[in-house]
Amino acid sequence: MTVQPTKAPGPRLPGFVRGWLPLLLGGALVGTALSTPMVLPVVRLALAVLGLAFAYAGAARLLRARFGPDFDPGLWLGVAWLVLIVLAAATADLLPLPESLDPSKALTEPTYAAPSAAHLLGTDQYGLDILGQIVHGARVSLIVGLGGVLIGGTIGTLLGLTASYLRGRVDGVVGWGTDVLLSFPPLVLLMALAAVLEPRTRNICLALGILVIPSFVRLSRAAGLKVAGQPFVLMARALGATRRRILFREILPNILPSVLSYALLVVAILIVAEASLSFLGLSIQRPQPTWGNMIAEAEAKFQTHPFLLAPAVPLFLTVYSINRIGDFLRAGKDGG
Amino acid sequence: MTATEIRPAGKASLPAGRGRTRRGGMTRYVLARVARLLSIIAGVTFISFFLLKLTPGDPVATALGPEATPEQVERLRASLGLDRPAWEQYLDWLGGVLHGDFGTTLTQPSRPVGGELAARLPVTLQLIALTIVLSLAISIPLAVWSAHRAGRTFDRAVSSVLYGLVALPGFVAALLLVLVFVFHADAARTAGLAVAGAALAMTVVAALRSRRARSSPLPPLIGGGAVAAVGLAVYALLPDFPRQGFVPLGEGVGANLTSVALPVIALTFVDIAVFTRLLRGDMITELAKPHVLASRAKGMSTAHVLLRESLRPSMFSLITVVGLTIGQLIGGTIIVEHIFRLPGVGSLLVASVRNGDHPVVQAAIFVIATVYVTVNSLIDIAYAYLDPRVRQVNS
Repeated sequence: MTVQPTKAPGPRLPGFVRGWLPLLLGGALVGTALSTPMVLPVVRLALAVLGLAFAYAGAARLLRARFGPDFDPGLWLGVAWLVLIVLAAATADLLPLPESLDPSKALTEPTYAAPSAAHLLGTDQYGLDILGQIVHGARVSLIVGLGGVLIGGTIGTLLGLTASYLRGRVDGVVGWGTDVLLSFPPLVLLMALAAVLEPRTRNICLALGILVIPSFVRLSRAAGLKVAGQPFVLMARALGATRRRILFREILPNILPSVLSYALLVVAILIVAEASLSFLGLSIQRPQPTWGNMIAEAEAKFQTHPFLLAPAVPLFLTVYSINRIGDFLRAGKDGG
Repeated sequence: MTATEIRPAGKASLPAGRGRTRRGGMTRYVLARVARLLSIIAGVTFISFFLLKLTPGDPVATALGPEATPEQVERLRASLGLDRPAWEQYLDWLGGVLHGDFGTTLTQPSRPVGGELAARLPVTLQLIALTIVLSLAISIPLAVWSAHRAGRTFDRAVSSVLYGLVALPGFVAALLLVLVFVFHADAARTAGLAVAGAALAMTVVAALRSRRARSSPLPPLIGGGAVAAVGLAVYALLPDFPRQGFVPLGEGVGANLTSVALPVIALTFVDIAVFTRLLRGDMITELAKPHVLASRAKGMSTAHVLLRESLRPSMFSLITVVGLTIGQLIGGTIIVEHIFRLPGVGSLLVASVRNGDHPVVQAAIFVIATVYVTVNSLIDIAYAYLDPRVRQVNS
């Protein structure tokens, strides 16, 4: 039995009340927070957070009652968020958002405007719409995260696979290179690469890809070693299968599930890495918006205009969602 | 034979016969590790040196500014040896490092790079030390109690908070801390008071309920009391944190600690999550073992079972990860040093990358990577010393 702080000991309320009550209370709190501009922003923020917590608790209880006790609302919230952000990023140019890319087209818009009906999340120093920038920034974050994993995952897995099967000198060289790359602190390696490459989306993908090669090498090498000792691999060798066939048809399919579920978690890591690099001003430059460079620009002004930190919210939610889903997939794989 | 894969995953029972018979094996193992360490550091410096050579733009021209004549640029270039082949420059640099000479900065007026680094290293080291201590102080109690209450409300609440902490990028955490504790310190104090009040009320309710349920009221009292104490401390003792800047330890311990408090808290977020998850998992495994069951059957207290029987054997992998974290933090403080304008190695690195000051970048990468690799090797050697299986696999 869980401790319900708001409820005095006594007869239990019926289930639907225990679900709907916090949900409605939470909705009311969020509504109050959004519709009372005269109260201090901090108080409104606190009210909104409290309201969201209540609404989440209520919705979780209702959903558990509907779909059984194993239902994990956090996980599905993560899935819903990812679907939303991917759709928004894909259709960014079609969405009816105020001008958010070209400062010369936003000359008549107010600068540093607080959130309103015209600009749901306010405007920045050029009068550009922040919500629109967040949507366009989502595109960069997702492309960079996925692209980096695609590059690093492919190269790293192939290297690790080859090293695990050939052993000997190849293994030694690959292992040494992996250790060298791992000895660079991640952000330092990224900064060094960013200094060399021109900061464009493609190059950032490349830099992030190089960053994650070693971890994929380690993962696939360890998994490959395990599979390479299995009888069916020996069998294939005895039957005279070529090296390439053994690597790609026998071993690779067996290590792919663990590589893929790890790759999802790496996407989250890379999104944070790109945002950090952007924040330091070493990634994609203004006026093209990324979540990191928007927050970097907000740093000078967020004392008086805290809404400028808005890109932190999608950044947090995206990373959170990917982590939840990735952990769920990994747990499922280990269990079954 | 890389560092992590030879590490045993769990803490299965140690094989018997660990002792002096394998002295020779141990020496050989240590020597092999040291050789590998040196080769890796050489690789890191080599790669970073040539990466910097590939950087577009002429660092010398940038350093001298737009008004320098081509002759001036040429002279500085020659005096720095930049007109010679790259591999010669690399060997020169390596030779200098072996004598403790990192060259001079390109940014004028030029200063010895070694002195620059030495002045900034203590700041970063202080951040690291405080971060580790604070993370452990928070995560060990959390992990112990989560493991004890695995699957219950406390455990679930902690694990969802940890998910949140992990998803919070360092720079976002730092800016949020600034927003709350610097810009809205009064609101934070009020919130502390409110939290303390709510925690006290909840504690009383929970204690009454547990008495009715004939269980011990101690856990809710301790937990609620702790939260209330933190809330009251925030209300009464919250100092005025500076937005940025660093006060050296020599100018007063209190001022020094307030100047590094927010950066340290921002750094602890991820570490708390990592440490707590790891220790919780190991503790749950340990709590399921027969010796714990035996101890419980004998009627030993919960505190004894948790702290003496299961926490101590569970610390093994935590200590390793703490070591690894120390190594990672030396390059991981970059963001908070940048946000809080702390004069550490990280902010030096950011400034030097932006200014194209290659000797400084090169030296900073060397120092960071050396500390990281050395710490990792020390952990591996300690592991081999404690667990002979590692040595046998490796030799």
